[in-house]
Amino acid sequence: MMDIAGLPMPDGAPAAGACVRLERPEPGLVVLVLDPPHRSLAVLDVPLVRDLSDALDELRLMPDLKGLVITGRTPLAFAAGADISVIEELRDARLASRLVLAVHSVFNQIEAFKKRGVRTVAAVGGPVPGGAFELSLACSRILLADDPKSRIGLPETKLGILPGWGGCHRLPRRIGVPAALDAILKGSLMPAKVAYRKGLVDRLTPPEYLVRVACEVAMGRTPCKRRERGIWRWLVDRNPLALAVIGNQVQKTIQRQTGGHYPAASMAAKMVTWAALTPLKKGTKREAEAVSQLGTGDVCKNLVRIFRMMDGSKKLGKRSDGSAPDPIQHGAVLGAGVMGGAIASSMADKGIATRLFDISPAGLDAALLQHRAELTTQLKRRRLEPHSHDAALDRLDVSAQMVGFGRTQFAIEAVAERMDIKHKVFSEFAKHVGPETILATNTSSLSVTEIASPIPNPERVVGVHFFNPVKKMPLVEVIRGEQTSDEAVTAGCAFALRLGKTPVVVADVAGFLVNRLLGPYLDEALRLYDGGVEPKRIEALAKKFGMPMGPLRLLDEVGLDIAAHAAESLNAAYGERMTPCKVIRPLLEAGHLGKKTGDGFYVHLSWTKKVSKNFSSDLRRLAPAHSAQEEFLTDQEVEDRMLMAMLAEAARCIEEKVVQSAADLDLATVFGMGFPPFRGGLLRWADELGAAEIIRRLEHCSTAISTGLDPERRKRFEVPEILRTMAEAGCGFHR
Amino acid sequence: MTTYNFEPGSTEIVLAAGLRTPQMKAGGTFAEEDAGHLGSGLARELFARHGLDGSELDEVLIGCVGQPSTQANVARVIALRAGVPHRVPARTLARNCASGMEAVTSAVTAIQAGQGSAYLCGGVEVMSSYPLIMGKALTKMFARLSRTRSMPAALAVASSFRPSHLKPRIALLEGLNDPVAGMLMGETAELLAREFGIQREESDVYASRSHNRAQAARDAGVFEREVMPWLPLGAKDGASSRHHDDGIRDGQTPKALARMKPYFVKPDGTVTVGNSCGITDGATMLIVSTAQRAEELGLSPLARIRTTAWAGLDPRRMGLGPVFATHKALQRSGCRLSDFGAIEINEAFAAQVLSCEKAFASREFAQKELGANEAVGSIDPEKLNKNGGAIAIGHPVGATGARLLLTAAHELERSDCDMTLATLCIGGGQGGAVILERRAS
Repeated sequence: MMDIAGLPMPDGAPAAGACVRLERPEPGLVVLVLDPPHRSLAVLDVPLVRDLSDALDELRLMPDLKGLVITGRTPLAFAAGADISVIEELRDARLASRLVLAVHSVFNQIEAFKKRGVRTVAAVGGPVPGGAFELSLACSRILLADDPKSRIGLPETKLGILPGWGGCHRLPRRIGVPAALDAILKGSLMPAKVAYRKGLVDRLTPPEYLVRVACEVAMGRTPCKRRERGIWRWLVDRNPLALAVIGNQVQKTIQRQTGGHYPAASMAAKMVTWAALTPLKKGTKREAEAVSQLGTGDVCKNLVRIFRMMDGSKKLGKRSDGSAPDPIQHGAVLGAGVMGGAIASSMADKGIATRLFDISPAGLDAALLQHRAELTTQLKRRRLEPHSHDAALDRLDVSAQMVGFGRTQFAIEAVAERMDIKHKVFSEFAKHVGPETILATNTSSLSVTEIASPIPNPERVVGVHFFNPVKKMPLVEVIRGEQTSDEAVTAGCAFALRLGKTPVVVADVAGFLVNRLLGPYLDEALRLYDGGVEPKRIEALAKKFGMPMGPLRLLDEVGLDIAAHAAESLNAAYGERMTPCKVIRPLLEAGHLGKKTGDGFYVHLSWTKKVSKNFSSDLRRLAPAHSAQEEFLTDQEVEDRMLMAMLAEAARCIEEKVVQSAADLDLATVFGMGFPPFRGGLLRWADELGAAEIIRRLEHCSTAISTGLDPERRKRFEVPEILRTMAEAGCGFHR
Repeated sequence: MTTYNFEPGSTEIVLAAGLRTPQMKAGGTFAEEDAGHLGSGLARELFARHGLDGSELDEVLIGCVGQPSTQANVARVIALRAGVPHRVPARTLARNCASGMEAVTSAVTAIQAGQGSAYLCGGVEVMSSYPLIMGKALTKMFARLSRTRSMPAALAVASSFRPSHLKPRIALLEGLNDPVAGMLMGETAELLAREFGIQREESDVYASRSHNRAQAARDAGVFEREVMPWLPLGAKDGASSRHHDDGIRDGQTPKALARMKPYFVKPDGTVTVGNSCGITDGATMLIVSTAQRAEELGLSPLARIRTTAWAGLDPRRMGLGPVFATHKALQRSGCRLSDFGAIEINEAFAAQVLSCEKAFASREFAQKELGANEAVGSIDPEKLNKNGGAIAIGHPVGATGARLLLTAAHELERSDCDMTLATLCIGGGQGGAVILERRAS
């Protein structure tokens, strides 16, 4: 009997015994079905674990038990793993440890059946993440439904914890240390065929046969071998020398990739590496300690929050009454530049028959070639079957004339950033389509309201702002112009979600959200450079904070010309506080525009994909620092200049209600500019500091800047009213 | 024998719309294309330009001679890849060089039989992808190998391998050989040249005229309304889409052609690579429907289909197919050769077209071969293949029949005439002819 006193119970938890059903199809065989009435998909929460424990206790007393099958309510609904809302709330490490150990004891109960000669078979299917997979690992055989919906793996490290219910030790025993390291550190959920190939499961079978075959296996009538690693087991998994080398390499890689900001990865790696040499009991106990420590820490909380916000953003694709807009069958993209081509290609990838228009046949050809090249790569890497490759190929058609767009349900333009061109293209296009066709604009610097105004039925015009490179950047800003209808906003969000992006709804202000926040951040970086701070130092401090790349490299990636253009339009809209720094002008004039020209702040070598660490040799000659007065700023001061400038602007955005909530802003900063996820987003980090501390730092920045040189620069460090209110009330941006 | 003649008042059947890809020399630009991709891309574009939806079709009929081994019933592959709904059936048709025309006449038959009213018809051929076939000996060896049960037995079988087993058979060459007559297509043209006394010089003059006319037509933009630009699979970075047929040789002269050596009958034959059609990749798609249906779909038809006719003849003289088929079409329709403002005869070989011209005009030929009293009629060379023919723009075998109809349909307006004729010879000894008529506007 499990002691559940004090453990967190979900709302509507049923009475004991209701979550698990035992079926006895024949003598000696028991099918244990996870069927909690309070969940649509079973979650390994306290009531379920309690009932599971009770059921196993009951089975232990069954003398003639030969086979035990553990399965879900339906073949494609097993369980979703641990209860995320518990992880989100849990702050008490001792309670956490108790919770984890309780589950351990249940899993050990399952494993103990093996010694009694009972065959335990997990018959799983659909999503089998984390805890659900760890439950399966405790069984002696795992059968997985061979279905596209089946996805299995241990994604815990993505949430800042590690597989703490035996996963770190049972998985390496099953598939070997190197494969387990890969699976746990990547944290991806694998499709059925891949999981079988890698040995995560022992047999695939169609969902319709899943339980039947599992029963046959449990009764020993159908042989089902567990794949053995053979000699490798001794050469690698149990060879201390090999393990030391592997462990060392992995730790180095993790350190390089995460900068030490994510303790879960390196802890998981350490455990997995030595798993096979550690007795299971001792290992799992260590796991429990680690996971309760990580699970109650800030990093985990922040990552879980982001996960929840991302999940929450999926609601944006539905109308207020919960219905979803018709899925897009026919889409159109106007303008085949880098952005337009990539958007069209993504649409085709995601099953939308797309017609791409551009007046230049060369642009269309380039877009088509790029689309094909990406598909070919996926085909070669076996990420696509040949028939899906052909279908994705067929879904992108191009046209140099504005004909054949009659069926378009959703069109997005990515033509040149000039109001007259946008008006011309949309007005012309509107003649070819019905009045309900959603017209989205991918503008990054023009007003959506203004773009919409002369278009017939302007309520269907919505901003859908992708970031470059389209296929990699996960954020899409959906911009509501003044006339934009709710329907159009929903359609824009649904479109972004369809393309696998995370939408955030933003008001129609200059720079929208992300570029508006990046403006002061990047400009401060330039001003620091101009003030004599070593570029290397600027970059290193930003990276140390957790940014994916330094601000100067980001400028190179974006293109200095584009950044300068964006800075000017921000300046025009927001006045003095956005006055752009003049230091990059000589670079622009010399044609050093960043990555695309091979030279900017850094040298970019065209023949290698590796990012160069070397600053351009022409840098100081072309763009010398104007003064040395900021050279002696402390690290903290340098960091504050950039981040406080951004934070003050974010506070203004909240004041102006550019986004609905602080959570939206956090989501946008994490997905749009790579603000360190472990900090939970810009405003989450701000709340951590507290309003009073932020005001202190802002004022310090402001006073430290010499008045004579940069009067306008001080404006960006002016304390927004909302911060003072917050400081007085002692609250944060988040409730 | 089936011949149709639709007089006003009966169901009016029309070529409602049409489009083709550029036709490219095999092994060249389209070498990595496949029939499914080429055909479906073209069909999608045809649908898009005319606001059609695949669900409006009754069936998809596509002509193709050398279907890719990976795309059995390539018509179905094309239909599905073009977004035609599952419930609309599709079949691939083969009548050698006339497969594309066969698709159209099959649609006509189906409409006449009351089975439907709108069809996607066309032809597609990627001759580049005709395979090399491993010989029978090697095939047998592999079959025996797969039946062996033990390693020694497998080794014994494998030891029977000889390097000569690797000699491939070339599907393209075998396809151009008439298995009944035992002659290559070019040899049948040589036979006609001897029978009708066609000189080498005449052939070369004809061939260079075909190039010159195609060049002029291309430069004048005649092909723009029928060709969609196409960026082929396998195009390298920086490649651009193709807008024109690439077989046209600018400024071709008989003198240049005279330098080529005879290919089929050496050394004294008249048929050279230069005065024959090229081996080509390409596709053509047409919508065939009743006039009423076309109107409902918002299409403005290119032409009315007046008559279709197929005829058979001696495989060794297959090049005369147009004469036999046209004679039949004229009889059925009551038209005369002089009624046509433009005539499209497929240029398989210059000698073959010239032989047809002579046969058309010959009373003796008509009496002996067609059982008629008078000659079929003489052809005005100015009306024959006004925009050049297969010698210049190529002959993707399965597609050509449909391509001729598309050209002939556009010629109604361009030549401002009431009727045009499209006809072609067919390997194996057949001929096909379709008479198109301008619709009262």
